[in-house]
Amino acid sequence: MAIFNAYVKKMAEYVEGMRGKGRQVREFDCPGDPGKLLEELPVRVGPEASSGIILRGDTFVELGNPDVGSCAFLLWTDNPSLVGDGKITLIGPNIQESEGASLPFGQVLMVRGAGLGKEEHSALEQNQYIADQIEGYMLKSTSERMWGRVSKDAATKGFDFDTLGKALMAIFKTAVPKVQAMEAIFVTSDKEDVRHLDNIAEQVRKISKDITRETWLARGYDILECTLGWDCNTCSDKPVCDEIREVITVRKKKIRKTKTSSNQ
Amino acid sequence: MVDKGLERTIAERDHFEFLLKFLEESPYETSHLLIPLVKANLEHYKDTVRYIEEGKPIIASYFSNAPEIFTAMDIHWYCPVSAAFAGAGANPYLMNDLEGADKLAVSSDICTLLRMAMYYTEAGLLPRPTAIVGMIIPCDGIVALHEASRRSKQWRGIPMFAPDPPYFTDERSIDYFAQELRRMVDFLTEHTGQKLDIGRLREVVEVTNEQYKLWQEINELRRAVPCPFNWGVGGGPFALTQNRWVGDLRGLEWFKAALADSEKLVKAGKGWLENEKIRLLWFDVHPTWFFDLAPWLEEEWKAVIVMDMFSYCPYTLVDTSSEETMFHDLAKRNLMDTTMIRQAVGVADNFASDLVRIVKDYKIDCVVWPAHMGHKDGAASVGIMREICRDLGVPFLSIGIDTFDPRYTTPDEVKNTMSQFFTAMGLG
Repeated sequence: MAIFNAYVKKMAEYVEGMRGKGRQVREFDCPGDPGKLLEELPVRVGPEASSGIILRGDTFVELGNPDVGSCAFLLWTDNPSLVGDGKITLIGPNIQESEGASLPFGQVLMVRGAGLGKEEHSALEQNQYIADQIEGYMLKSTSERMWGRVSKDAATKGFDFDTLGKALMAIFKTAVPKVQAMEAIFVTSDKEDVRHLDNIAEQVRKISKDITRETWLARGYDILECTLGWDCNTCSDKPVCDEIREVITVRKKKIRKTKTSSNQ
Repeated sequence: MVDKGLERTIAERDHFEFLLKFLEESPYETSHLLIPLVKANLEHYKDTVRYIEEGKPIIASYFSNAPEIFTAMDIHWYCPVSAAFAGAGANPYLMNDLEGADKLAVSSDICTLLRMAMYYTEAGLLPRPTAIVGMIIPCDGIVALHEASRRSKQWRGIPMFAPDPPYFTDERSIDYFAQELRRMVDFLTEHTGQKLDIGRLREVVEVTNEQYKLWQEINELRRAVPCPFNWGVGGGPFALTQNRWVGDLRGLEWFKAALADSEKLVKAGKGWLENEKIRLLWFDVHPTWFFDLAPWLEEEWKAVIVMDMFSYCPYTLVDTSSEETMFHDLAKRNLMDTTMIRQAVGVADNFASDLVRIVKDYKIDCVVWPAHMGHKDGAASVGIMREICRDLGVPFLSIGIDTFDPRYTTPDEVKNTMSQFFTAMGLG
């Protein structure tokens, strides 16, 4: 399905734009097989790999604090020419270079699979929030923003964005078997660079909402809007609204009358 | 002679005065966290009495009307529904108040909290405010409460303003609500003579921003297994960000102390219960009779309320760089984030996405939607919540209670229902 294809292309332009601005852009390649991905990692990955908590004092680096900016979204496609497999792009400093820092954080995940469709959208979205699945990496339980921490222990073991990318690829490929290929882009360079991602994210979120709505509609629920379709003529509550309008009219007349008499 | 409208306020003030003395004379492990909360309440009630007795302007308002603005304008305000939570514990007047509310010519299917507020107004149990800033979200019932206030003998003729909340949550809606907050400022100035100093607003908001961040941090610690806290931990943060000492550095100190204590517990791997068996999400506000139910859950089933609707804190942090950004973000926070408003005014997707995050992040074993009789908005989302819990493989229970009236479904009936649920689901 081509729903997000335009945005995958925009991400390629974004990365080139960052290169053009002279930002440090690094690329890492990794194997496609989830088993091999996990073999190479310095930390454990999988359910209950971590407690889900990293205390402030145990934090090596913070990512995406609201003060410095955060943006995350996910794109999926079935087009092999758009998303390769195992490519991790980092724009800005890596974890090991940022001890004690609070870095801006952009995370864009792009997945590809021959049979990927709207049915998998919700699972893909949810897997961005890793809960307790990566040792030494925590995402705060907040909506609307990706705000994370890397622990000192994990950093000592060698945790970096290459690790995070591989861990996310392993998690996605295990949880959603239709995912055949995946790329990750991380941005830590600058608040403005992350803010530029918001322009793409805004459109992506709108599409995502529509897909979520459509999926729920198929299950018999509308999670975004009144199902009456705003057609008053078919709405059973029309008499109530009509009465309210009448009351408003009477009230307005009364106020006008009071004002007029007090002016005289 | 004591003004009738102050009777309950004075009783509350005396109660907190006694409580403070008791806590100071008999300190225990966590009394350093309780004492500031008691002081905040005591100060509030003392101020209310003083303002009324001295004839100073006082406002009746609600938690979701950007309370930072009230602080920045140096306006004393109280929330008419808070009398239902008298003593910040088991309300000693509860049965009397409920019977009073029952006698009102008001439909019994309106949220009991709102019917109680109507009773307090009618019975002259609330101090007569100079002006009222209404809150006409999240439910129809609260609109009825304001209509009742306008027409009551006690409060007739008091100027009233309510920021008009749009249903949608797009930028246009946020900007509109920001404008409504500005109109609220004009209204407050007109009726109290107090003006808004933007520099002062910035100071206040910067404090509440820090508080919300620390609240978030405290919440994260509840993810620990075993959970270091019980259900009571959410009350303080809510009170201090939205009701008492809003934007006050003393409140910020409380958050810092609470977090430091919490981190110690987590580091020690100490759980609230020695043998935690059930991690429960209570997906609504706490009933006023939770003092009966929650300890029973802990003792009988080793069940800990790991998270609840009041505690979950997805609040917008306000950009203080300009007046515009402050009003914009305050509008967003108060229109979209505040407890109950987020769920009841917002789209069902809020219920859905919060539920997924909480269950996964907090390692929840079961979800209880208590189904308060006044939360009809949530009743419309029960099917969605059930489907999500099925997808997540987490048992879901919808009970059917009245959060404020233990006669509706008695605590014993609730205990029985929950016991059957835990047994049937193989929990505990």
